[in-house]
Amino acid sequence: MISGQRIEEHIISREPYYRQQGQELTIALAAYQHQIPLLLKGPTGSGKSRFMQYLAWKLRRPLITVSCHDDLSTSDLVGRYLIRGGETVWLDGPLTLAVRHGGICYLDEIVEARKDTTVVIHPLADDRRELPIEKKGEILSAPPEFMLALSYNPGYQSVVKDLKPSTRQRFVALELSYPSPEIEAEIVQHEAAITREEAERLVRLAEMTRGLEDAGLQEGASTRLLIHAGILMGSGIEPRQACKVTISETLSDDHELVAAIDEMISSLY
Amino acid sequence: MDSLFDHSTAQKLHGIIPETELNSWESEELLDCLAELSPGQQDLLLQQISVIWPVSHSLCLAFLEAIRPALACLDAEQFAAWVRGILDRYEAQGLQEARRFMVDLDNHFVCTLKGQSGLMLSDIKTRLHLYLRGVAGRPFDLESGDLPGTDTATIFLPRNSTLFSNDATNFLAYKLLASLQWALVRVNLYCHEITDEDALFARLGYPAPDKPASGIFLTRFFQTFARPKLAMAIYHFLQTFRALSFLQKRLPGLMADSRAYFQKIRPQLLADMEDKKLLVKEYTFVLDQLCDNQPLELPAGAFRKNCNPASWWQDISQILVDAAHIHDQWKDGSAEDIATPPLFQGSFLIEEAHARRLARRKKAEQQFIEALSIRIMPSVAKNQDHAQESLGSEQPQQPDSGANISLRLASQQDGQEEKEPVHDRVIRHIRLDDQKIDLDSRLQELGREIMDDLGNLPQLYLDSAAEMAAGRSYEPNFNTPEQEGAALKGASLYDEWDFRRQGFRHNWCHLLEKEIQPSGGTFIATALSEHRGVIKQLKRQFEQMRSHHRFVGRQRDGDDIDLDALIEAVADHKAGLPPSERLFVRQLRDQRDIAALFLVDMSSSTEGWVGKAIKESLLVMAEAMESLGDRYAIYGFSGMRRTRSEVFRVKEMEEPYNDTVQGRIAALSPKDYTRMGPPIRHFTKLLSQVEARVRLLIILTDGKPEDYDDYKGEYAIEDTRHALIEAKNAGIHPFCITIDHQAQDYISHLFGEVNYLFIDDVKGLPRRMPDMYRVLTS
Repeated sequence: MISGQRIEEHIISREPYYRQQGQELTIALAAYQHQIPLLLKGPTGSGKSRFMQYLAWKLRRPLITVSCHDDLSTSDLVGRYLIRGGETVWLDGPLTLAVRHGGICYLDEIVEARKDTTVVIHPLADDRRELPIEKKGEILSAPPEFMLALSYNPGYQSVVKDLKPSTRQRFVALELSYPSPEIEAEIVQHEAAITREEAERLVRLAEMTRGLEDAGLQEGASTRLLIHAGILMGSGIEPRQACKVTISETLSDDHELVAAIDEMISSLY
Repeated sequence: MDSLFDHSTAQKLHGIIPETELNSWESEELLDCLAELSPGQQDLLLQQISVIWPVSHSLCLAFLEAIRPALACLDAEQFAAWVRGILDRYEAQGLQEARRFMVDLDNHFVCTLKGQSGLMLSDIKTRLHLYLRGVAGRPFDLESGDLPGTDTATIFLPRNSTLFSNDATNFLAYKLLASLQWALVRVNLYCHEITDEDALFARLGYPAPDKPASGIFLTRFFQTFARPKLAMAIYHFLQTFRALSFLQKRLPGLMADSRAYFQKIRPQLLADMEDKKLLVKEYTFVLDQLCDNQPLELPAGAFRKNCNPASWWQDISQILVDAAHIHDQWKDGSAEDIATPPLFQGSFLIEEAHARRLARRKKAEQQFIEALSIRIMPSVAKNQDHAQESLGSEQPQQPDSGANISLRLASQQDGQEEKEPVHDRVIRHIRLDDQKIDLDSRLQELGREIMDDLGNLPQLYLDSAAEMAAGRSYEPNFNTPEQEGAALKGASLYDEWDFRRQGFRHNWCHLLEKEIQPSGGTFIATALSEHRGVIKQLKRQFEQMRSHHRFVGRQRDGDDIDLDALIEAVADHKAGLPPSERLFVRQLRDQRDIAALFLVDMSSSTEGWVGKAIKESLLVMAEAMESLGDRYAIYGFSGMRRTRSEVFRVKEMEEPYNDTVQGRIAALSPKDYTRMGPPIRHFTKLLSQVEARVRLLIILTDGKPEDYDDYKGEYAIEDTRHALIEAKNAGIHPFCITIDHQAQDYISHLFGEVNYLFIDDVKGLPRRMPDMYRVLTS
């Protein structure tokens, strides 16, 4: 009845689509080889999680993703005792699972977790590479195949959500921002299964919205939003409508900004 | 009774306008005028006077002359709207225009009230501005003018659009006009890239005109023709044609929607048809295609014969050559008159564009030199230190002449990736002696602007930057305090960072904390009522941030049992481990525990609308903060020279927000200069004594740090930067909100990439500032 996650479930068997922007794969592979953990920075929807999937597939290692939130406790990461039929059973948390099986543990949006929780990764992230499991009185040594990866979005200006220097100074940091227009169009074309021309037009719209970042928009349209818009268009929804529901309405609640983005959409379609 | 009445009115009036500011007869006239009004009207008028007087005295006097008819036909609300209209005109176009607006009450205002003016540009400016910014990828200013047009930085559009009866289509007309003007800039309407004139004239087979030392290329070019006006009209036609084709490709949706617009203006051209004017046929041909949204083709005849549109993108001079050939074919024809171009084409502002270009070149030059010098400064300083060490000198260093630094281009030209634009040259590196220095994106952009403009990057710019970095052009002439007057009593002393010596000038600045006398007046009431919508909304939003209840598990006691914890404890117990005693859930109210200090620039440059917007923002912010419960303080700062930095207390951290604080906000007024270092250090000290989880120092400014003495340029920027670093080290988060248009050069150097907010439109400040605070603290 109660069973932990099984490591086999995390193995990625089919090659995920990933279009390289630069040297990120080479660098990540080198970091992996030398057992240095990875820190991915970049705006939302720019392909951080997809990159991790691709990397895991490339390395043939299971990928265990934890979406961080502010109630995430150390036990949620490391594991806990449970009772089964009058007996106690130890259940590995995702982090322990990854360490035990030499997988890749990916903590998504790490700044959302409380700072006291993130401290548990410190001994794993330096050259000790070990995970103390206090409850069991066990110290787990990570095999060479294990990798730790974090991601966060530095664009959020919140001062209460920032990574401690003691945490960040253990990583190789890769910045994954929006790809160049050509690459982005290629990605949108592939993922939304639309024509090149349609993809290019969506990318142009994205660039227009990103131009508003100085004028009150928190973030411009991400590659993910473009793919959503493309998918809706592909399923027969009228382009202006598709862009409105996927792009202008999701980007802002500010009346003037939404109206301005709608005008951009109606200029393009 | 009457005299008593006069007396109190006079008092009120002089409360707003000091008696000394008016002649006795002006004052009398004014009081006479007031006496004729009902008490309600008097109050209304006095309230509006208090709004206008601080903006401009002469405007206020002109206003007083014009109020009689307005008071006769407008009710209170309309009257306030009329005054807002006057102030908008004054702000945008100056006193003359504001006077015209006031005098011609019927045409300019009453018709708007009656809904006869169609869609006003002022009503849709914000949306259009945002739209254009996104589409063009750079900001354009929008201003009203008689005809559409652009000087490449500002786009002029008609004050109102009455073509259609509904607002949506009128907006579409605006959108089209604005997009087309942008497209004209994009297709290089003003030919700013022609560098080799002689070659151009050689291609034309014309003798090159005697070149005067200065003058505008296009003007000179057209003057060589037999019929300059005709040549210019043909050229403008071709460029408009090109811009429209560009829009068809770039913004197909807009061009499809605009069919209605083109159909509407078509009859106007047909009227010209009768007179057999030149270019009528061609315009009609283009317009017909636009009405059907067909891909544009050149009109048959002279145009199709002479034009090579395929090579226009590669070579801007081709279009001039083509225009010249058409002109030559037509110049001897029988038709004399040239058709009035359709409204959307707009006017050809050669001189304005040229002036704008010169101004931009000057600005780009300054910015580039300044930014580059800051970029290479560390390397230069290092080199100088080495030189000094090898000399074994302990003398304070004389600024280097800069002559022994060699700064050269190490440019690599990028391949032409894009098909359309001709130039895509980017300078990524620069060589300082043997060292390769990467240029950041801002510098690259500036470099490209200059290259686009001049065709190359003059070595002179590099030399100037090297000199500036070495400190020759910047040679501070520090006076001793004795020369400037002794330190004020009770002043705090602060160090100042000297980047050239990489050390502090100890106890260099004298800072004094001062009181502000709260002022009465109507500012607070007016501002509160003007922004009541925003305030209401913000209060609700801030309220939500405050009441953050949440259940916390694993407590020693609480309202309910924590099932997870209990199971875990039982399991632990069974496993032979000591079970936890933390088995309860408790509802906790999250303590935000944030302390914020708002530091407001009170330098003289904030005079006028900027200062007003800042004050309004503080008021809105304070109102919103009241529903949030974060501790906050507000201070202003200004000063002159290092011996007189002043900070003005508006609200202390623990002081309640009340009428006195409101009065002090109203009383904030522009003072002297912006020496930022001392106040930042002062409040770093103050904030670090406050117990809080997060401490914020939010600085509102309208420009660079600068003082009357030598506190300017990089010295000022580096000192401010250092003060901010000191603040960060003390665990304080500095954040900057700036209204400076040039801020992008230095602001990220000062505050770091994500720690500032750049405000385009100062009127948006009261809304943007609390939004920023919300994002920052949640």
